[in-house]
Amino acid sequence: MTYALEVHNLLKTFGPVRALDGLSFAVPRGTIFGLLGPNGAGKSTTLKILTTLSRPSAGTAVVLGFDVVKRPLEVRRRIVSVIQETAVDLLLNVRDNLLTFARFHQVETPTARRRAGEVIDRFRLTAEVERKVQDLSGGFRRRVQVAKAFMVDTPVLFLDEFSTGMDPLLKREVMSMLREEAHRGRTIVLTTQILSEAEELCQDILIIDHGRQVARGDLNTLKLLSRGVYEVSMTFDAMPERIESELTALPTLRTRVENNTLELAFKAPEGQVLDVVTALARNRRVLRLEVNGASLEDVFLELTQQEEVSRDRH
Amino acid sequence: MTAIDAMLYREAKIRATNLIFIFWDVFYPLGYMLVFGVGVNSALGSPLLPEHVDYNAFFLASVLGMASFGIASNTSWSFFLDRDNGIFFEMLTYPLSRSAYMLGKVLFTLVVSLVQAIITVALASLMFHIRLAWGRIPLAFLVMVAGTAGWFFFYAIFALSTRRNDIFNTLTSILYFVLLFASNMFYPLEPLPTWLRRVALANPITWQIDCLRWGTIGLGRTDRVLLEAAGFCLFALASFWYAARCLERQE
Repeated sequence: MTYALEVHNLLKTFGPVRALDGLSFAVPRGTIFGLLGPNGAGKSTTLKILTTLSRPSAGTAVVLGFDVVKRPLEVRRRIVSVIQETAVDLLLNVRDNLLTFARFHQVETPTARRRAGEVIDRFRLTAEVERKVQDLSGGFRRRVQVAKAFMVDTPVLFLDEFSTGMDPLLKREVMSMLREEAHRGRTIVLTTQILSEAEELCQDILIIDHGRQVARGDLNTLKLLSRGVYEVSMTFDAMPERIESELTALPTLRTRVENNTLELAFKAPEGQVLDVVTALARNRRVLRLEVNGASLEDVFLELTQQEEVSRDRH
Repeated sequence: MTAIDAMLYREAKIRATNLIFIFWDVFYPLGYMLVFGVGVNSALGSPLLPEHVDYNAFFLASVLGMASFGIASNTSWSFFLDRDNGIFFEMLTYPLSRSAYMLGKVLFTLVVSLVQAIITVALASLMFHIRLAWGRIPLAFLVMVAGTAGWFFFYAIFALSTRRNDIFNTLTSILYFVLLFASNMFYPLEPLPTWLRRVALANPITWQIDCLRWGTIGLGRTDRVLLEAAGFCLFALASFWYAARCLERQE
């Protein structure tokens, strides 16, 4: 198997803090790879190293056969990076932002103009195309930034929290575009805090915390790691008054109460799930009931909480 | 098409579509020549130097030096603009080396400073009838370009090591005041107090302006000007080396 990215024992320290602590992974070409983790887990640091923005303190990172420290220019010729912060030329208009970006990536002018037209259409930027980016809202600025990634054909695309500030319709469109790009053989590496995005998009997921691997695999493999976690959603005709005290007795991973709907995730043997649901529904009118296996969010919470407990013990 | 072309294209687009930059880079120093220079020239009423050099002629090299210093300062400020726009770090992942990023920025600035120098010299000749040493004018333009690059690298050190825009602006204001007034930009050095003359002689602006006076109106001894030119080149190279190191450290 040929890999787009190969990372071995990556270490990054900032003074006494180890942002990355011996991280290793490889990403096959043409896949959508999700790098997940709580705040401060080391996701952005990993991306910064892979995009040559930052140097590792130890270990190696290779992008399409080129070491990020020894051959940074070769790496940069093969990647596009959408960083977490909004990154646009505020003093240029939307079209010039796209064309300038393409020029940096050596795209010929006629091709760049054609692509800019397509990207402007797909990102619904037609009305703003001649406006300076400094006159646009934050959401539109982010739109321009992400749109730039589709102006070029580099084999690897890095996206750090790409959907921040995007409306749901556009987010869906971008996700569909990312799937098309992966289908055409482009490797996509994304970090996100919105786990449903990763669940929908990623064929391969790495969960990290405190700079170390917590779990790795496709969605189904990860869900197996969290066997015995169930998600229950119950809508009552009126939210029961003492429901919160009843919930404290359950080994819940998370609970959410919104209007008359209760959502909870808990870990229990399969046979007890019905008992829990029955207990919660007793003498109450349930309008809707849904029981599911673990979602990626449940897996994520369980694994990162386990990591936290294990760290505390040490 | 190379990365430096792309950098030049970007800088040109930004400047050409935001004319306020052209005002600060090209016309602001001309304002000094047309108002301040004319005012002092009239106030003095007689030649400033024994060589029958009036203040307008004396001040021509100063305007060029001031333009080169100002253009360099404005361009280095654009590191902050790039950082505030977030694009600074994104650009460091583009297919260009960090040195190419810095050189691309300075190359466009050099074109602007050359245009500024041509306009200034043309106006000085047409409006004030200053007797120019035409044979040396290309060398004066070369000094202008090299000076702008040197000052840009010098300012880039501060722009890249300072995170806060307000600190950088304060620093550049102080540098502007100290370096311009402790030099031969506004007055000849000979009548100055000894301490101020000594500071001015160690100031790279003095070296640059001596070279520019020699190149525009033929004033100054060639051997001394060559020594000062060599000194300025060393200053520019050292600044480039340190600015490149500061850029490499960005992450």
